[in-house]
Amino acid sequence: MSSSLEGFPEGQVQFDLERGAASVRVDSSVYPLEALYGAAYVFIDRAYVLLDRAEGDAYRVWISPKKPAAEDALRALLGEFANELLSCAWRAQIAKDSRSIIEQATTRALGGARGAPSLDDLESFDFSDESFEDPLGIAMSWEEKYGKKKGAEGSEAKAAPAGAEAAAAEGEPTP
Amino acid sequence: MTELRFHRDLYDGQAVDEAIKTFDRYATIERAEEDTHWVVRLSADAPSRERRVAGELANFALGLTIRRSKSAT
Amino acid sequence: MNLLQIKKPSTTFAMPFRHRVVAGKHLLTNTEGAFVLLDDAEFRLFAEGTVERGSTLWTRLVERNFVRAEVDLRAIEERIRTRKRFLDYGPNLHIAVVTLRCNETCVYCHASRANMDATYTDMTKETAEKTVDLILKSTNPSVTIEFQGGEPLANFPIVQHITEYALKQNEKIGKTLEFTMVSNLSLMTDEKLAWLVANKVQICTSIDGPQHLHDKQRKLPTKAAALPLALTGEGASPSAHLAARHWIGRINDEYGKMGLDTSLYHVEALLTTTRDTLPLWKDVVDTYVSLGCKALFLRPVDPFGFADRSGGRVEYPRKEYLEFYRSAVDYMLELNRQGVQILERFAAIFLTKILGGEDPNFLDIRNPCGAAIGQVAYNYDGKIFTCDEGRMLHEMGDDTFLIGEVGKTAYRDLMGHETVRALALASNLDAQPDCVNCTYQPYCGVCPVHNHKSQGSIFGRMRESTLCAVHKGIQDYLFEKIASGDPHVLETFKRWTTVRDRTHFLQTCAL
Repeated sequence: MSSSLEGFPEGQVQFDLERGAASVRVDSSVYPLEALYGAAYVFIDRAYVLLDRAEGDAYRVWISPKKPAAEDALRALLGEFANELLSCAWRAQIAKDSRSIIEQATTRALGGARGAPSLDDLESFDFSDESFEDPLGIAMSWEEKYGKKKGAEGSEAKAAPAGAEAAAAEGEPTP
Repeated sequence: MTELRFHRDLYDGQAVDEAIKTFDRYATIERAEEDTHWVVRLSADAPSRERRVAGELANFALGLTIRRSKSAT
Repeated sequence: MNLLQIKKPSTTFAMPFRHRVVAGKHLLTNTEGAFVLLDDAEFRLFAEGTVERGSTLWTRLVERNFVRAEVDLRAIEERIRTRKRFLDYGPNLHIAVVTLRCNETCVYCHASRANMDATYTDMTKETAEKTVDLILKSTNPSVTIEFQGGEPLANFPIVQHITEYALKQNEKIGKTLEFTMVSNLSLMTDEKLAWLVANKVQICTSIDGPQHLHDKQRKLPTKAAALPLALTGEGASPSAHLAARHWIGRINDEYGKMGLDTSLYHVEALLTTTRDTLPLWKDVVDTYVSLGCKALFLRPVDPFGFADRSGGRVEYPRKEYLEFYRSAVDYMLELNRQGVQILERFAAIFLTKILGGEDPNFLDIRNPCGAAIGQVAYNYDGKIFTCDEGRMLHEMGDDTFLIGEVGKTAYRDLMGHETVRALALASNLDAQPDCVNCTYQPYCGVCPVHNHKSQGSIFGRMRESTLCAVHKGIQDYLFEKIASGDPHVLETFKRWTTVRDRTHFLQTCAL
């Protein structure tokens, strides 16, 4: 286990080449949990990601490429994660700061595209459904719902066998 | 044997349970509870398979947790 | 100029603005999309709030709403409304993939074409009609149906049927219809051409540059039967370039015979820039001019379809692309100076926003992007995608951008689909790190599908995005040219922003 990686502050990372894994300490006063979740999620198609608490007011993120990787590749992956984390943190802040502008543009765009409902539309309208009131929340749940690079109908139920099949492909028959 | 530790502040317990349920066909999985973590111990025939099942289980639990945290807000 | 030289920045003089140094000048843009270029001394006066009232600088700043005390809020509101006019209507562009079959094999094929015997990838008549029925539900009073493939001429009866069926159905609806076809032209015949011209279907093709480059990248393995041998070349490998060149000439002749102004009505062609294209910028421009094209779109290769697989062979650092772009457009400006009319499409799109204060509604560079709310792609099997790029990813096994199926999904459900909402949000530059502070924000746009493919998230990270590098690099170039003040360049740029409608192709019917 090594605790230094070029480009990262001393003690910020742990690096285990034998296991093909690296971890980074994330200060929770700088990076909100939603940013951590957002960044972690972006990587689960190419790496295994595990979150934990670290000493002090911090998180620790373990990340391990699905395909074995050399030190350079591991460093690049961790670096990319750090960039994504920064991007997610800033985006979360922007979403808060500019919420009304963003919602206004989105509502105008979607309203213009959908148009007014016809009588047929009203007849089949499900009044129990929630109205469009939280576009930011909806946007974030979209990727969560469909999984990365899966079919639009690929809900969590579909995502599960994908990982399971991958595991089964290690050589044993699928039960 | 691989041990996965899911911190209760960061993971939804039901998400971890569902992940275990989804992957228990592919490895021998035991679960334990600690004050701060849900602990999942996992073993499979081959080391590469064990690493893969553990990793996919962790990703699955994370994905479900994120989804639930968003739908709760 | 070191910004630290500004001793006492004023917090009350200026309206909110974004700043970038271009060609040694300070480029400022504001929310409404107005810009000014200031030298160091002018910028210092502006930043310190000491611009003399009534001076030339004062007038320039006030006219463009950079001075808080003189701001014209009504004008700002009106200009923003004008720029965002496209938000009030639904999709205008409807891409119908009538088949995946194609007789050419392109090294970068974004569409993941199928072999000519794969007739199961032909759109059926039933799917075609359901597609048209859905298209005509768009809230946009103008609708363009673009035939794509594969090679649309490989399933020509469906091209005909969609056109005729749409015109017939539209008699009850009264939209303005336009039809375009993107074709390699090598399966064209006199009969097909006569029908296309008679039915006012615009024709667009692909030209990769000079013959040797085009034929290297676009293989035509089977002989185009309708072409004389002299036009397709000798030997086992006929020339895709000669075939396209032949038909471009024929089509343009037809327009001329009809009395149409051929400076406006002619075949347009699209370029896909590969690594091999980069040193050939002059040959590319000369080829387009020799074909009678008035526009050249210097599009970089995208990471979709076969280009993803053959990336190592066709890709290149975007810095090299931007050098290519600068050389090519410099040369085009020189040709314009000599009286040759040729414009670069990226430049025209950005300049229309920069100089014209209008948004030309180019769906890949608008804010938010046109995914579903500006364009919809219909696959041969009836599957519906947010855009052509989303459909390309489907062919690579990624259904993220699938939003429905013709005959099953209602129009309003498509537009209200959570994927569509997510893309509208992800491509909103006010919500995007980096873009939110970027000087080029009023003129730019991002592509969430590109982000998803290249960076793993629909939001992407712009600092590492090749698309962002291209957009920024091109706008840097344009503002450098504007800053140079060369009257000829400015006159040419102004001309490039002039959109002349091709009214001949608009098909309306009175209700």
